[in-house]
Amino acid sequence: MKMKYAMKVIVFLTVLLLPFKSFGAENVNLIFVAAVSADDKGNGMRLPEGIACNDKSDVVVADSGNGRLLKYTFKNETLQGGSEIKPAQLSYPVIVQLNSKGEIFALDEKQRRVARLGADGAFEGFVETAGVPAPDTVVPRSFRVDSSDRIYICDIFGARVLIFDPAGKFVRQIPFPDNYGFISDLAVDPRGKIYLLDSVRAMIYTAAADATAFTPITKEMKEYMDFPVSITLDSRGVIYVVDKDGGNMSVIGQDGTFMGHQLQRGWKEGLLYYPSQFCIDDKGYFFIADRNNGRVQIFSMLK
Amino acid sequence: MNLRHKLILLFIVSGILCIAGIAGSQEQFNLKPGARGKVCLGCHVAFQDKLKSAFVHTPVKIGECTGCHSPHTSSHGKLLAAEPNKICLRCHKTIIPDSAVSSHKVVVEGNCVKCHDPHASANKFNLLKAGNELCFGCHKDMGDKVKSVKFKHNPVDKGCLNCHNPHASTKADFLLNDRVPSLCLGCHKTTNPLFQQKHMNYPVASAKCTTCHNPHGSNKGGILYDDVHPPVAQRMCNQCHEAPDSPNPFATKKPGFELCRGCHSTMINEALSKNKLHWPVLSKRGCLNCHNPHASSQSSLLKEPMVKLCGTCHADTIRRQEQSVTKHPPIQDGDCTVCHQPHASDNSMLFQQPSVINLCGTCHDWQKHSTHPVGEKYPDPRNKNLFVMCLSCHRAHGTPYKTMIPFATITDLCIQCHQQFKR
Repeated sequence: MKMKYAMKVIVFLTVLLLPFKSFGAENVNLIFVAAVSADDKGNGMRLPEGIACNDKSDVVVADSGNGRLLKYTFKNETLQGGSEIKPAQLSYPVIVQLNSKGEIFALDEKQRRVARLGADGAFEGFVETAGVPAPDTVVPRSFRVDSSDRIYICDIFGARVLIFDPAGKFVRQIPFPDNYGFISDLAVDPRGKIYLLDSVRAMIYTAAADATAFTPITKEMKEYMDFPVSITLDSRGVIYVVDKDGGNMSVIGQDGTFMGHQLQRGWKEGLLYYPSQFCIDDKGYFFIADRNNGRVQIFSMLK
Repeated sequence: MNLRHKLILLFIVSGILCIAGIAGSQEQFNLKPGARGKVCLGCHVAFQDKLKSAFVHTPVKIGECTGCHSPHTSSHGKLLAAEPNKICLRCHKTIIPDSAVSSHKVVVEGNCVKCHDPHASANKFNLLKAGNELCFGCHKDMGDKVKSVKFKHNPVDKGCLNCHNPHASTKADFLLNDRVPSLCLGCHKTTNPLFQQKHMNYPVASAKCTTCHNPHGSNKGGILYDDVHPPVAQRMCNQCHEAPDSPNPFATKKPGFELCRGCHSTMINEALSKNKLHWPVLSKRGCLNCHNPHASSQSSLLKEPMVKLCGTCHADTIRRQEQSVTKHPPIQDGDCTVCHQPHASDNSMLFQQPSVINLCGTCHDWQKHSTHPVGEKYPDPRNKNLFVMCLSCHRAHGTPYKTMIPFATITDLCIQCHQQFKR
């Protein structure tokens, strides 16, 4: 009897406290931690567009203007190392990802292909699109590797998201939503739910892991964003969007509610100038490729 | 009840309401019997001539000046009984139907007097001017074009209202009385053998005529838009489309840019060899994001004037220029390609040149307006990985401040780097 009563109390308190949990996103506040603008030899980055991080403290930067990748370790709130990875097969990397084995994936804008490199940076090949339904041509604007190492390619030519298994074999596709403006990026949460970012309409669409179509979770947010280009989620499911033209980051609740802005445009440390890709590690650090400032910046969430 | 009966009933109800309104206003102002408009005309004698016009607004005709004016005092000019932009709607409530697809801006704003004389006029519907002359008063460019084109569209000469509703349309954009092609098919019979021959037997009755034809007239035969895609001019529709008797005759033979690459291979291959792409080129719509494949009134078959076209995606950038105190001439002149490559580039921001300083230098001799050092020898004190250049102090698409600087004052700008002068 006592047990039943205790359960009722727990359920009651859970319901009571639920709103406080959902308000958590409002409290997001990013503080500057560090900025890095060179490799381990002191050679400066040039227009870095991509960045990826994992829970093993690996950080890979697509130093796009120099046509190379840089590999760092995040330790004591600073990026250490910065060894150059420059395979001949890679021309102009713009978006990078790491899988659970530490393998590096990089989208080459010039070749419009996703390259797969070993954890040591050795080139292993390109993600092939054989077996993909018509059209045969695939133009990846962006891609993601999820926690199960599945690969999701945002194919703007076919207006679809292509899903491949960890070995690179085609699994299925989901068409872009109707009336989209221009899809620039996507994100995937741990449950396999896909988030699609529309830069022109400043909207986000989602598709559950088993869904066959995308549905919008936000209205047009053009009053809050200029030209959003990169989307990522944190461990709580809060959505973050980097606005390239606006030079800031928007925070969006799980239900699609706009929660506020973080960061500002500028040149000094802590400010952004035409930022592009960003990632969030398991400890809540934000790593942002601050493209036109020629650097990578790290922020932590004020708790 | 058929339409005729409905209209008669509507007329009777309107009449009753009008009389009730007049009776109401008479009661409101406690006018002497038979006074009404006559009292007003006792002072406003110049109105006597106006009332002799061919078309007189009904309330004026029956001497109901108090329908629109307050005889004693008013919070509005001309002693109007309500706000000038709302007074007409008191009677003409449904001038913009709830189901309107498009509506005329002046009507939405309540500027009825831009077209109508509220008292009387020599023209039907109390219009200020007769026929197209009234429309071309505002739509001057259109008027000039219509008059100057070699090949005219007959209904345009006869009157804009042949195709457009002056207030609102419940059926189509651009105030059109019906959608295209239904509107066009009212006059043009697609079963005519000559018509079919001209259209290479493609079933154009279901196509959008205005993708090729300029409904306001043109200098090209067949009133095609002035810039015609050569395959269209040569009637080689099947160069891009499936055969006219195929199940899907308007389908293109290849998707996206791959179709255009058949002829424009040099240009597309060159674009694909660059580091940076304008991604929409390779999207599903490909070249059609910016170009009309058949004909256009813009050069290079652009769908719209460049600033408007670029602004469909980059609205924030174009808006910044519009709100900028100092205007950047290339944008104001509508030529984004002075600085940017529209397809692809090896340079950041799809710039035409690798060096921003050289790019700006094509128009600006910076030494003449500033002696501030710029170039790779001069690191930006705010960020050692950058060097001082034009965009260190200016935003090319404008800012709310003079000379396109990103800070409210020049002092605020200078102390970003020269912090020793900060007070």
